[in-house]
Amino acid sequence: MNDMNDIENESISKNVEEALKSFEAKAKQVPAGYFDQFELDLMQKIKAEGQAPQKARIVSLFSNQKKYLVAASLFFAIATGYLFFNKAEDTTNTIAKVEMIDIETLPDELIEAYVNNNELVAEVEWNSAIEVVGTNLISTNN
Amino acid sequence: MTDQALIIQFQNGDSKEGAFTQLLKRHREPVFFQIKKMVLEHADADDIAQAVWIKVWNKLDGFKQESAFSTWLFRVAYNETLNFIAQKKRLNAHNNQNELDHTLEHPSSQNALRETEIQIKLERAIAELPEKQRFVFMLRYYEAFDYEKIASITGTTVGGAKANYHQAVKKMTELLQQA
Repeated sequence: MNDMNDIENESISKNVEEALKSFEAKAKQVPAGYFDQFELDLMQKIKAEGQAPQKARIVSLFSNQKKYLVAASLFFAIATGYLFFNKAEDTTNTIAKVEMIDIETLPDELIEAYVNNNELVAEVEWNSAIEVVGTNLISTNN
Repeated sequence: MTDQALIIQFQNGDSKEGAFTQLLKRHREPVFFQIKKMVLEHADADDIAQAVWIKVWNKLDGFKQESAFSTWLFRVAYNETLNFIAQKKRLNAHNNQNELDHTLEHPSSQNALRETEIQIKLERAIAELPEKQRFVFMLRYYEAFDYEKIASITGTTVGGAKANYHQAVKKMTELLQQA
């Protein structure tokens, strides 16, 4: 309470004040010699803690160079991104160029070779189809 | 010897234990009583006070004396008390029963017989205050700490501490009238 009877405590009525006084008195009830025992127990605990094996400290290898590691990883990410997107752009350009080739500009030999090759493929496909149908007919006749 | 000198002695490692016990002897009672007013149970207050002083022992080397030792000490006590109350609430919620309420609703029989009705009501009213308001009220009313110190202990502003105190008084008065 300590000279606290100023304006702010005027709102605390007399009977509440009385109750607060006895609340304090009750809180201050401790067994005889409690604080001496408290000190003894505490010092024992502290000594026991000091003698207990210390937990192994985990020391980070790069704890001092964290900012450099962050900067390096950022640089790496940006550089990789730049290289990746540049490469992708090049590939798209090449494909676009191939698509833009005009058929009239191609040499005749190239066109002939393409047609011949595809004819061969078509022939092979037809032959295998005929063979399959033939086999089926033979098996149904039997 | 001042607290400051004892702390320096502790930090320099000259008679560490001696410096610490001096500080302990000087401050153990107000800290213990503040804790007891918060939790009411002697055994609980004892556990918290032990934890507070062990923390002081472990952290005093790093204490930069930017505030008074007592301010720092009460701040440690404040944090430990709130942690304890929170833990107890969690435990009681788990057990589906509030032990603190139980203690207050059924004060120990011998004491209850001696206590007046208003004292029991007051304990209940105090227990119903939010922890921060309760802590601020105890520091201001019983320890007569100034608001700056209270603000520093409870990690609030001076205005916040004042508001907490007045809210506590208002709520207590209301709760006592209701009961």
